[in-house]
Formats: sequence, C-alpha cells, structure tokens
Amino acid sequence: MDNARPIVEMRDIAKTFGSTRALRGVNFTVMRGEVHALLGRNGAGKSTLVSTLSGYVSADTGSIRIGEVEVEAVGQNYAPSIRKLIAHVQQTPQLFNLLTVAENLFVENPLVRRGFGVVSHKLMLERAAGLLDEWNMDIQPRSLAGELGAGTRQLLEIMKALSRGVPVMILDEPTAALSNAEKRILFEHVRALKAKGVSFVYISHHLDEVFEIADTVTILRDGKVVKEREPVERLDVETIADLMMGEKTVRSTRQDFMADEAPILLQARGIRLDRFSEKDIDFEVRAGEIVALAGPVGGGKEALAMVLAGQQRPEDGEVISPRGKLPTIGLVPTDRHASGYVGILGVRENVAIGGLDVLSGKLGFISKGKEARHVGRLAQQTNVIASSLEQAVSQLSGGNQQKVVFARALCRAPEVIVALSPTRGVDVGAKEQLYSLLRDLASKGLGVVVVSDEEDEIDQLANRVVIVFEGHVVDELVGEYTIKDLILRMEGVV
Amino acid sequence: MSTDVVSKSTLKKEHSGQSRLSAFGSAFVAGGYTMYPVLLILVIVGAVVAPRFATAANLLNILDQVSVLGLTTIGLTFVVLIGRLDLSLEGIVGFAPMFAAVTLVPVAAGGLGLELPSWAGLFVALGTAGLIGFFNGFMVVRVGLNPFISTLGLLVLLRGGVLIISNGRSIYSPGKALTYLGSANWFGIPVSVIVFIVVAAVVGLVFHHHRYGRALYAIGGNEDAARAAGINVDRVIWSAFVFAALLAGLAGVLMTGRLDSTVTTQGQGIIFSAFAAAVIGGVSLGGGRGTIVGVVSGVLLIGVINNLLTLAQVPSFYVQASTGAVIIVAAVLTTIASRRSSGVRTRT
Repeated sequence: MDNARPIVEMRDIAKTFGSTRALRGVNFTVMRGEVHALLGRNGAGKSTLVSTLSGYVSADTGSIRIGEVEVEAVGQNYAPSIRKLIAHVQQTPQLFNLLTVAENLFVENPLVRRGFGVVSHKLMLERAAGLLDEWNMDIQPRSLAGELGAGTRQLLEIMKALSRGVPVMILDEPTAALSNAEKRILFEHVRALKAKGVSFVYISHHLDEVFEIADTVTILRDGKVVKEREPVERLDVETIADLMMGEKTVRSTRQDFMADEAPILLQARGIRLDRFSEKDIDFEVRAGEIVALAGPVGGGKEALAMVLAGQQRPEDGEVISPRGKLPTIGLVPTDRHASGYVGILGVRENVAIGGLDVLSGKLGFISKGKEARHVGRLAQQTNVIASSLEQAVSQLSGGNQQKVVFARALCRAPEVIVALSPTRGVDVGAKEQLYSLLRDLASKGLGVVVVSDEEDEIDQLANRVVIVFEGHVVDELVGEYTIKDLILRMEGVV
Repeated sequence: MSTDVVSKSTLKKEHSGQSRLSAFGSAFVAGGYTMYPVLLILVIVGAVVAPRFATAANLLNILDQVSVLGLTTIGLTFVVLIGRLDLSLEGIVGFAPMFAAVTLVPVAAGGLGLELPSWAGLFVALGTAGLIGFFNGFMVVRVGLNPFISTLGLLVLLRGGVLIISNGRSIYSPGKALTYLGSANWFGIPVSVIVFIVVAAVVGLVFHHHRYGRALYAIGGNEDAARAAGINVDRVIWSAFVFAALLAGLAGVLMTGRLDSTVTTQGQGIIFSAFAAAVIGGVSLGGGRGTIVGVVSGVLLIGVINNLLTLAQVPSFYVQASTGAVIIVAAVLTTIASRRSSGVRTRT
C-alpha cells in the first residue's frame, strides 16, 4: 500500500563544510502524515540535514527521495527539482522587509497570476486577507513585513510555506520567536494538515513541544544518527539528554582561577536590552573568572555581550566599573568573516588595528620595531601559523584566522575579554589551543566572558554560566555543574 | 626573540610554497610599482620619437602640468581607500579659489566688495575647501547619504555656485597669496612641483606608517572589523572627506596660480582623470587597496601620454580619445597584475 511507503527517504547523506564534517552518512525517513522531530545538540547537524533535504544546501553524497522524485547528490544544486514537494521554514524569517504582507505571502505563487504572468494585486489582497483570517491574525495585508513584530514575522513565514500545499514541510525552530498564543495557532494548523496527510520535519530546542506535537523522534550527534525513528511514547527527557550527549572523548576541563575576593572589573547595572524587556539585567565580571552567556539563539546573549563590550547601546541601564574608569576590553566578534578580520590585509596589520593607539608615538606614527615585536609576541601567544606576518588573513585556515582575531583583541593589553562564539568553525586542535589561551588569560587575572551555543565549550571553560532567554537572565550555574544540568537548561526544560 | 620564531617558519614556508620571484612580484604589485616599467618604456619611446621630449625643461613641464591632477588624485585616494568616493572634488577645484578671489578683488574687478587683504587668499580658499569637505562628511556619516549621490549633487551645486559668485566672469590677478604657489619658481623648479612632491611624500608616509593610514586601510577592507577593533570609524570617514577636499582646494589654488586668474570652468573634467589615475595606480574602487607610489605612477602616466601625443602633433581630438583608450588598457593591466599577484579578485 502507498501509505506504507515513506514519503521522504534519505540514504547515506554526507556534507562537509571546510574542515568540518557536518553529516557523516545519515539515513532519515519520514512517513506520510507524520510529525517527525529531529533532535540533537547545537552543531549535531540537524539544520544541515534538513537543509540538504530541502536543497537549500546541497549534500556532497547520498541519495534523497521525496515522493516520486529521486535525487542522487553529487554536490550540485538540486533544489529546483524538489521545489514543488517540500517547504522549508528556516530559523530566521526570510521575508522581504520592503514588501507588503500580501506580497510576501504570494511571492512567486502562480495562484495570484493572470495571463502572461501578470500579477493581480486585487486577487493577492483578497487571498491574503482570507489566509490571515483563517490564522486569526489581526494584521493588514497591506502593511510592510519589516514593520511587524518577530512572532508575527515568524508566523507569516510559516503561513507562506504551509499555504503552498506541499506534501512535506520542514519547521526549523518555528516557535523560537512565538508567544504561547501564537504557538497554539501554529500547532492547530500542524495537526489539521497532518490529518490531511502532510508530513512535518520538526526541529526544536524545547523538548516539551516535542512531546506535545511529535509522533516520531530521530536523534543526531556529531553528524550521525544515534536513534532512528523512535516513537515519542517510548522516550523521556532523561533518555533524550543522554542520547544527545553521548560519551565524552578526552578533553581539557575547566579550571577555577578566581581568587577569593577577586575584584569586580566590569559591572552591568539595570540593563534592558530592548524596549520589550520587563526585568533589569545585573551582571558582573570578576578578575580571573571565565563566565559564559548561554541560551537559545536570539535570546539576547549576544546583545548582552555587545553591551558589555561597549559596542552596543542598551535600551536602559549602564556598564560601569567599581574602580571608576572602564577597563580596556578586547572583543572577539561572533562572525569572524563579517567583523573579525580584514581579509586583504596581512596578519601584522590585522593585529595592529586592535591597538593603533598603543603602537603609535606622540604624532601618531607607528614605530615599526615596536609593532613587529608586539605583533610577533601576540602571534606567538595565540599560536598563529602563517607563512609570514605579511600573509593575507583571507588565505589562512579558519583556526588561524580566529587566532588572529584573538591576537587583535589582545593587542591593547585588555583587562576583560569578550569572546562571542570563540571557536565557531574551528578544528579540534585549534579549539583546544584557544581554550588554553582563554584559561591562561584568566589565570593572569583577566575577566573572560564567553558567549557560546556549544555545551561542551561552556563545560570546558566556564566556572559560571548565565542563561539568557528572551532578553532576561533566567538562570545561573556556578561552580560544580554537570553538562547534563547545562543541556537541560539550554534546551529550556528546567 | 619571539619574532624570530615566526620569521623562521616564514622562510621555510616561503621556500617550499612560493618562489622568490613570485614573492618579489607580489610585493612589487602591492607596493604600487606596476606602472613604473610601463612609464619607463614610454619615456624611452618618447625620447626616440620626439627629440624635444627628453629635455629637462619638458620633463619639469610635465610635472608642473600634473601637479593639479596629482593633488586631486591624492585627495580622492583618501575617500576611495575607505570604499567611498567624492565627485565634488572637481567642484572644489573651481569653487574654492573663485570664492577666495571674489573676497579679495574690488567690486569693479568682479569681487563681492569685501576686499580682504591679499595674504588671506590662501586661507580663504583652503578654509572654503575644508568646510565643503566637512559638509560632505556630515552628509555621509550623520545623514547617511550614499556618497555618490550627495557629492554628485554638491558637484553640480558648486559648478552653479561658481557662476553665481563670479557673475559668470573670470577674475584676473586675484592676489599674490593665491597665485604664488602655482606661479613661483625655487631654484628653477616650479613651486607647484615641490608642493606635489611634498604632499605625496607626507601622505605616503601617513598611509603607511601613521595610525590614521592604518585605520583607512582597515575600514576599506572591512568596516565592521575596524569597528570591532575599536577604531572610531565615523570620525575617520568624516575626516577623510575633509582631507580630500583640502587637497582639491590646494589643487585649485595651484591652477589659479598657473593661469594668474580664476576661471569659471576651472577644474572641469578633472574628477574623471583623477579616478583614472587612481585606478591605473592600483587603487581599488572597492576600498582597502592602493598606495601613493601607485597613485603618482597613474598621474605621471596620464601626464606623459598627454605630453607625448601633443609633441607628436597628434590632432587634439585624437589626444582625448587616445587618452581614454590608454586608461582602459592601463586599468586592465593593473587589474590583471593585482589578481595574479594576490589571488584576490578585485574590481577596479
């Protein structure tokens, strides 16, 4: 019978980004009319897997079948051939901010076209109004998508995908920006569509949602399947956490360098990250401590770090130092390609721009010898490997680029380091080197703030973990915590 | 001692991966020397073809001729290095000296009736230029306009402004202070040439060894990275527009000195030559790349070609067209050279 045959079958899917093997031979199947939850920790490969399924990212090898269409992946784009069969709602809404709600809902949709490809605005507005009504959404079809709140935008993106009438839907963290009421509306529609035979692949960090909506669970770890097609009734939170975590390989562990009565270097008082914040954030960094900011994507941990680093103005509140003058702060920004390094410049110039004032004399001219010594020392401290200090940073490997970013952050001899995603896209060896660098800095009395999505990283580094969720500090782990404590908090269970 | 470690691994890798010749090639192109061999060939060809070319008087004449373009191009380089552009520099070359002239000369000679003392001329011209640059910076940094449109608007405005303040007439002999730099000679060398050389040397040093220059390159290469590194990006962008305008104002003063008058059409078309010279000299219009050594080569190339074509008695219509052709060829050469040497695709 047709219903017994899976609608989606993925075999031996592999995908490599640079030196990172994101997927290592994954099998994944979805039945008709099923909500299939895909679980795993950050970096386990969930988003990559569903992206290869929708063709948003092309798999390197493996085969994919959706309905009657079969694709053999050879690293080339196959998205057009499966476009009519699958819809993919990504973590961040992909809306056109300058187009109206109606235009966004029906972009590239043949339903609103008349002859010769002419788009009928009347038809579009009518249909949009109908759709918004059906979803109980109180917004005008003519308002601009850019003016809407985060939850509404997310819901709009989901509506757009659901109204395309495809048999397979991917929802990647669909509820991250939704309120409870909005979540109810979404779940109702998912159930209604499921009854009609539509299948869902559902990714979420909230295990309670998974128990509520999912039928089947597959768990990924390090790019491999560790539990395939397990009915949700047979699982509980503990088992899932154990499966997601796996056994540990030997890795360095965190150390505590903070002296008793260590002085406070930096203090955030009454911070509100945006105008929707309802509670103040109070936060401090002490000399010799490594504190991690953790929590879901978009929860505000990056924003808080940027406020601490003085790069972003909070809605309210202030960052001060008990000693009066603010300490020198070194920043490792979250995306090194976007704001970490200047690709066309060499290592020396990249490191030097972190401390042009300390390297230059009275008239502002930079002393060549001083620069060479200083940069050379920092390059050695951070273990940068380059053919020479003049080599363009764009030519270095990811790990070495990141070390250059660290060297730049250290150029001014900072007292506080704020490092966002300090080891993103960095291989294991370089990772450990950066960890020991951060520990070394803490042992010298610097305050270190790390923002990370990786539980292992936090577990290996931080003596204190602050969980930031929806712009507020909701929890804190101090001292002896286990990685399980951490995972459960980051998944929003506790 | 620490530098030793890095440089040792340097040598090892360079010998295995990169031949010494190609390393030299990269440094040659990155330093802005690409066009100098071409210049040398042109000078040799010129000496053979036109006997009058290789005389000291003619070579000084070329330098004198290019000093105005040279200063404008150096000014333009400030803003192009940070990935912006400034079309209004052409307007400043005409407007700044004209404004100074009308404040100096009596009403009968076309002035505004202020009749400021003659020594004030230079300061009024440069002050005007600086204010215009400040305005440009304000528009780009504070208002957030795209520099293409804001400086284009200002260019047209200044062109009209010149006609308004001068009543459409040229002003002759506007005063010693305004004309000295563009007309005097020291030891047989025109002062304008000396000004050009000194400015090029100072700006070259600043670009290379001053924290301000480093900030320019960083911003042009990756503005967000510069900001994250703690550079005051807005202030650097703003000041780059001011420096560019000041140099364009100085270029206008030199031009006025050479003509001993301020002309309403002064500087017309110079911004195109300035862009051409910058690109020929290896300045990337995308920002972050370019040296004063290169800019000077671009300026000299345009000057030498113009001079050669004139000496060879090529009809003037052809001079303009051939200059255009040469610009394209030179830009292609520069782009290919920088791609070959650095492996980075830049669009110039």
